[in-house]
Amino acid sequence: MRSLFSDIPRTALTMCYWAFLLYLLVPLILMMAMSFKDANYVAFPIGEWTLGWYAEVVQDKQFLDACLYSIMIAAAATLASTILGVWIAMLISVEGIRGQVVIFALACLPAVVPGMISAISLRIFISTIDLPTGTAAIILGHTVHSVPFVVVMALTRLRSMPSNLVDAARDLGADSVVAFFRVTLPYLGPAIMGGMIFCVLLSIDDFVRTFFLGGYRLTLPMLIFAKVQGGMSPEINAMATIVLLVTAAVGLYAEYLTRRSRTR
Amino acid sequence: MSIDEANSKGSQSETSPPRYSSRIAAIANSRLYRLTIGAAVETRIGRLILLATIPAVWLLALNVGPIYQMLKISFLSSYPIQHGEPASYTLANYAIFFRESIYFTPLIRSFVFSILATATTLVVVYPVAYYVGKIVKPSGRSRALLLLLIPFWAGELIRTFSVIMLLANRGALNVFLRDIGLIERPIPMLYTSFSLGFGLVYLICLYMLLPLYSSIEKIPNHLMDAAADLGAGPFTRFRRVILPLSRDGIVSGCTLVFLTCIGVFATLLLLGGPNTVLFPETISSFFHGASDKWPVGAAFAMIMLVSALTSAGIFMRIAGGKATKVM
Repeated sequence: MRSLFSDIPRTALTMCYWAFLLYLLVPLILMMAMSFKDANYVAFPIGEWTLGWYAEVVQDKQFLDACLYSIMIAAAATLASTILGVWIAMLISVEGIRGQVVIFALACLPAVVPGMISAISLRIFISTIDLPTGTAAIILGHTVHSVPFVVVMALTRLRSMPSNLVDAARDLGADSVVAFFRVTLPYLGPAIMGGMIFCVLLSIDDFVRTFFLGGYRLTLPMLIFAKVQGGMSPEINAMATIVLLVTAAVGLYAEYLTRRSRTR
Repeated sequence: MSIDEANSKGSQSETSPPRYSSRIAAIANSRLYRLTIGAAVETRIGRLILLATIPAVWLLALNVGPIYQMLKISFLSSYPIQHGEPASYTLANYAIFFRESIYFTPLIRSFVFSILATATTLVVVYPVAYYVGKIVKPSGRSRALLLLLIPFWAGELIRTFSVIMLLANRGALNVFLRDIGLIERPIPMLYTSFSLGFGLVYLICLYMLLPLYSSIEKIPNHLMDAAADLGAGPFTRFRRVILPLSRDGIVSGCTLVFLTCIGVFATLLLLGGPNTVLFPETISSFFHGASDKWPVGAAFAMIMLVSALTSAGIFMRIAGGKATKVM
């Protein structure tokens, strides 16, 4: 009798998990299903199925241009935030510098400031330094947003690094800079890789900063937003499905990399 | 590598620089490098300059700079400042907020929505995190987590859009309810507080999962066994053992979710209606068009930033215990 009762919480929790998974996935599956609807309005039930919307999307100049623009911004922002993030992490991890807690708090600031406020403050900031809205401003905004995540990932990996590796390199005659490039950087490899993919996804997904910092050229989220506001059609679903599948695949790969870097 | 290191060790002396075999070596041995960076890292101060300059400039200019500029502009009586005129500072921009209810109601609404969404998320996600952290076997945990993380990569806009698919008048839920005969005409769910709340919870719930999971997973199993041996039932074990020990995860998860939720923007525009204007929309209205209304917008943004961070800080202080020390 007792074992029967003690199994009730276990069963209930298992059901919670699957119900939650269903809750997470159902809206996305519905959205994907709608992209196959053979009509130019969005409504259930789906009725006739077609692949026509995909054919339309891959020929849509606006969509392709937005993809290209988003990828370009993501690449630039990722490169900048990786270099800065690793640099800041190195500064925090070095022994014998006072105020490391303050530097760490400062580095994490953009991650705790709510997205909307961050976007507004950056909008004001770029106008005070006379930087026009547009590509450079978006890249700057995305970089500010991504750096804290790289810092945290790099620091986690640095804390697990045996300190005698660098000592050994120094004993063998490498100066600190050479030791960094030949020992520390390769050790950080998996964390940097994971951090970079995370930055790419953050940048491609970002709406609010791009909304306030962007010019007339649309990024992917801006395009989807404009289309959703302009009126629904299964074309948006096809677009979103493509973006979703690509980002989910990249995200899973990043997850795999960070997992590996933690265990090795 | 080993031969190379042996060589450089063998031939190392005060006069000859170390030898490397790669492209880094070519750079490290070049005259330019040895006279500049190579010389700099010889001294402690040189190393410090090399290591700290760029991070310090970046952190001060771009993490503090924007907030500082926003604070400064929020006190200006007119913007942009005319040439030749001294800037005059005022508190009037802040006073506007307290004078009109169309301004402070959205902030209160923002807080209510964010707190309710955080609480809902906590209640919904806690059992799931507990299931993954304690009931799933250690070998299966990664897979159980990864399944939940897939939607996480879909992004803010796509997830919001998928909520529209579910809740629209001819969306899945209404069509389903009609088909099973519960309703005759669709219930308007979109552009109401319900759709906004649903969308916010859907958007942020996964931020709660990882902090909760990592603190629950760390609780040693033998503590629960000990409690069970001493006669504690499942509920007592949960209340006296699991809940206190997962406090850190609860506090950091709630803080993260609350701060994310209060800064959400696109979801408000797409899922909210005229009766559910939240504070980010109010702020953004000052930044459309000409820049002469920026000081008021900046003041409002400061009000939101300070109130959000203060309430998160108070929450962490009250509920925190050990967690505040970690932060």
